[in-house]
Amino acid sequence: MKKIRYLILALLIAAVLLPGAAFAQAKTIGFSLWTMEYTFFQAVEKGVRDACKDLGYKYIMLDQNAEPVKMVQDINTLVGQKVSGIVITPVDPGAIGPAVEKARKAGIPVVCADIGKSGPVNALLISNNFKGGEMAMQFIDKTLKAKGIKGKKVGVGPVQPQWTYARQRGEGFKAMAKKLGYTVASELVVNPPDAQGGYDTMQQMMSAVPDLVGVFYCSGREAVGAANAIKAAEKDIIVVGYNGDPEEIQAMRDGIMAADIAQQPYNIGYDSVKLLKDIFAGKKYEDAVVPVDVAFLTPDTIDKFQADYEAKMNR
Amino acid sequence: MILKQHSARVIIANQWDRFGLPFLLAVLIAVFAGLSESFRTVYNLISNLQFAAMIGIGAIGMAFCIMSGDFDISVGSMSALVGVLGASLVPRFGGVVGVLVTILLATALGFLNGVFVTKLKIPAFITTLGMMYIYRSAAYIYTTNTPVYIKDPFWLFLGNGVVLGVPFAIILMVFCFAVGIYLLRKTPFGRYVVAVGTNKTAARLSGINVDGIKLAVFTMVGLFVGIASVVTAANLGSVNPGMTGQGYEFQLITAVVLGGTALSGGNGNLLGAFFAAMIVTYLKNGLGMKQVNSYWQFVAFGLVLIFAVGVNRLKFTLLGMRET
Amino acid sequence: MIKFLKLYERFGIFLFILVGFVFLSLASPNFLKMDTLLNIIAQGTYAAVVGFGMTLAITSGGFDLSVESVMALASVFLAVFIPRIGIPLAIVIALAAASFVGLLNGLIIAKLKVNPLITTLAMQTIVKGVALLVTGGKMIVIKQKQFMELGTGKTFGIPNQIYIMVLFFIIFYIILYHTSFGRQVSGVGSNETATRISGVNVDLVKIGVYILIAFTAGLTSVIRTSQALIGMPSMAAGFVLVAITVTILGGTSLTGGRGNLWGTLLAALFISMVYYGLNLINLQIFYQMLAVGLVLLIALFIEGLRVRYLQAAKAKGIRV
Repeated sequence: MKKIRYLILALLIAAVLLPGAAFAQAKTIGFSLWTMEYTFFQAVEKGVRDACKDLGYKYIMLDQNAEPVKMVQDINTLVGQKVSGIVITPVDPGAIGPAVEKARKAGIPVVCADIGKSGPVNALLISNNFKGGEMAMQFIDKTLKAKGIKGKKVGVGPVQPQWTYARQRGEGFKAMAKKLGYTVASELVVNPPDAQGGYDTMQQMMSAVPDLVGVFYCSGREAVGAANAIKAAEKDIIVVGYNGDPEEIQAMRDGIMAADIAQQPYNIGYDSVKLLKDIFAGKKYEDAVVPVDVAFLTPDTIDKFQADYEAKMNR
Repeated sequence: MILKQHSARVIIANQWDRFGLPFLLAVLIAVFAGLSESFRTVYNLISNLQFAAMIGIGAIGMAFCIMSGDFDISVGSMSALVGVLGASLVPRFGGVVGVLVTILLATALGFLNGVFVTKLKIPAFITTLGMMYIYRSAAYIYTTNTPVYIKDPFWLFLGNGVVLGVPFAIILMVFCFAVGIYLLRKTPFGRYVVAVGTNKTAARLSGINVDGIKLAVFTMVGLFVGIASVVTAANLGSVNPGMTGQGYEFQLITAVVLGGTALSGGNGNLLGAFFAAMIVTYLKNGLGMKQVNSYWQFVAFGLVLIFAVGVNRLKFTLLGMRET
Repeated sequence: MIKFLKLYERFGIFLFILVGFVFLSLASPNFLKMDTLLNIIAQGTYAAVVGFGMTLAITSGGFDLSVESVMALASVFLAVFIPRIGIPLAIVIALAAASFVGLLNGLIIAKLKVNPLITTLAMQTIVKGVALLVTGGKMIVIKQKQFMELGTGKTFGIPNQIYIMVLFFIIFYIILYHTSFGRQVSGVGSNETATRISGVNVDLVKIGVYILIAFTAGLTSVIRTSQALIGMPSMAAGFVLVAITVTILGGTSLTGGRGNLWGTLLAALFISMVYYGLNLINLQIFYQMLAVGLVLLIALFIEGLRVRYLQAAKAKGIRV
């Protein structure tokens, strides 16, 4: 009898300890996201979520609702929950400093997925925006030469100045324009930063520079609005957008947008978690900026791109 | 006002006034604590209090303003402007100066708002609407749209520091509320504010310096917004001319109204605003932890607001008071 | 002085427009072109149409902070229904949805007696959540290209939205100044108790007002959505302030009772001119905000003078 009792006791102890042990192994990733209102961020979120699933991590997501104060509150919350690693897509990258410090002091590594960084983060994963802008200008140049158009005036609709890293798209475009001998005749920050803003700003641009030949709008929805404005005015101006959202792809199918620089938000999210995995394994990252490739889309490459995108989002 | 009847209606209405919100808060915390393991940690509960302070402190000034029958919707932009100005002085003059400048400047801007409202006789809503644009654009121009970072330990302590295990921000909030409640209930000033809000003409006729009271009230708004800005900036480590304070005015008004102060002016519930600020913060935190779809959160918050004000209305009706 | 102030009340905003016009004509060679001017007017129609509704609301003594979300909701409904039931019916549904939100606002404000600020603020959040829930957070692309004709097309060389703005200006003008409903709205705004005592069904008036303003928001959204061809749950951020600003700049008194529809129209055109014009000469966001803020303050200052002088005159018994 006694032996059975000991056996049962042993089994009970094992039953309690083993799951506990397994549980202790499972790491938790806390993800603080700007907002779920835009497809771009939905893709980042899916990327983070899938990576956690693939790597066997538990996953917590907190939505900042585009409020910097909530963002900081959420990061503190994650620290309090003793997560193993934190990924942030910050609505205000300049406001995470103190919160990130708390996290690092508690031994939790922090990776920023897109937007920007401040404070002692381990790394920031972000698209190679500068290169993207350059690619846009190069495409416009190539197309103009192929069509035999001589005009040298181009326009750019950059994002609002506070987005330090996204600003690089406009900077890359302007630098390449200078290199190739074009004049940036109009540079109007799009306000409000959505399709209507793009539409209105494009009208203003066409008024200001009647002989514009090409434009680059640094944000997807704005580019679509701009493309529509051009179509409405029945002018022949080459439009290149940036982001890779479904709206831009549709615009390309409709023939009003010539090309699009697509970010890979899913990859940004996914790779952020992979980077955390490396950090867990001992690799050192400190205030690093890890560029993520952008894809160049033209009407003939969009089908494959879209198929890839759907596959990832519907996993 | 408490009627000398002891009917059930009156008793319920009065008890709600005193205990309703704290009760709601307790229920909220209990529910979320039960639902979420991470919610019920001491760390989380205290951290939330710290963030409630940012709204709570600002709500004190706003409560006085609403009680006197006015609004100030420039507070968000004001917060951004004073924040960037104060923070930009830190590298040269140190944290203490930065903090003081922020608070003093906010007080001065509140005074300015008050001057426009009392001397130019322009309705407060419009004045503060115009000032909102001006403060915000001033903040942009001053910083050329770049955030200003704060690294000074004194300033950071004001938002993040811990004293005897309690975050300093909470101590500050409690202190501010104590001062506010004292002003409201134990000084003539407080009575005058309520009088002005209840009936401006009657107040004036009974000898109260209505303009002076209004001026003081707007200055108070500025003062408390300044203090709250300091705490917020400390928690965020930076002030962003574009983002700081966005929607802040509505958060404050929500806390004040949720707390039981009528928008039409008159007597208000300062302690209620205290609990309301906490309810909003804990609610947001709890919903987030339970991974409630953020879209539903929007709907939930709108409904909570209407519910709260509806309850206020119900209370007035129960007491047999006609709407003002 | 009083004469000046009375003149200002009617035509003050003209002065601002004149100053701005002259300044921009000198500052930019591209300003005086027909295309540019038409575009400025066209870009002013959005604020104008919602402004008409907002003028009505403020005249009645309230206001509506939920217009942004209503626009988003209408936009989303358009995107969802155009592929299914065609453009005209979808527009009807979108406008109906917008008006329904207005109905809810009106009911809560009139029957539950909740303050308009809180009601519309709360409704803003709720409707935003609904719009997001309907689309799951995504933007829906509208593939029916003919829809674009509405907001981008021209008839006889003039952009369509200008016709819409003129049409609704006339409609609202008639409503506000030539119907008993309009008089009742002014009555409710200036003295609600007196109006109620005189037998007017104040509740119905208020409900009507909020339905109308929500309708204008829906209408503006239809125009805007047709330009971008995207149904957006997150549309029009910050737009409510523009609507309120043009209404107040136009001279409608915030205390209610005096609606200045002409002023709203002119103010909307003025603001459009400021934004467009400053962009033409590359003076961007900060200065545009500053310009609007300053103009608002100047207008307020003069309004303040007007109130004081008129009060003083009344006290002295001078007829105004």
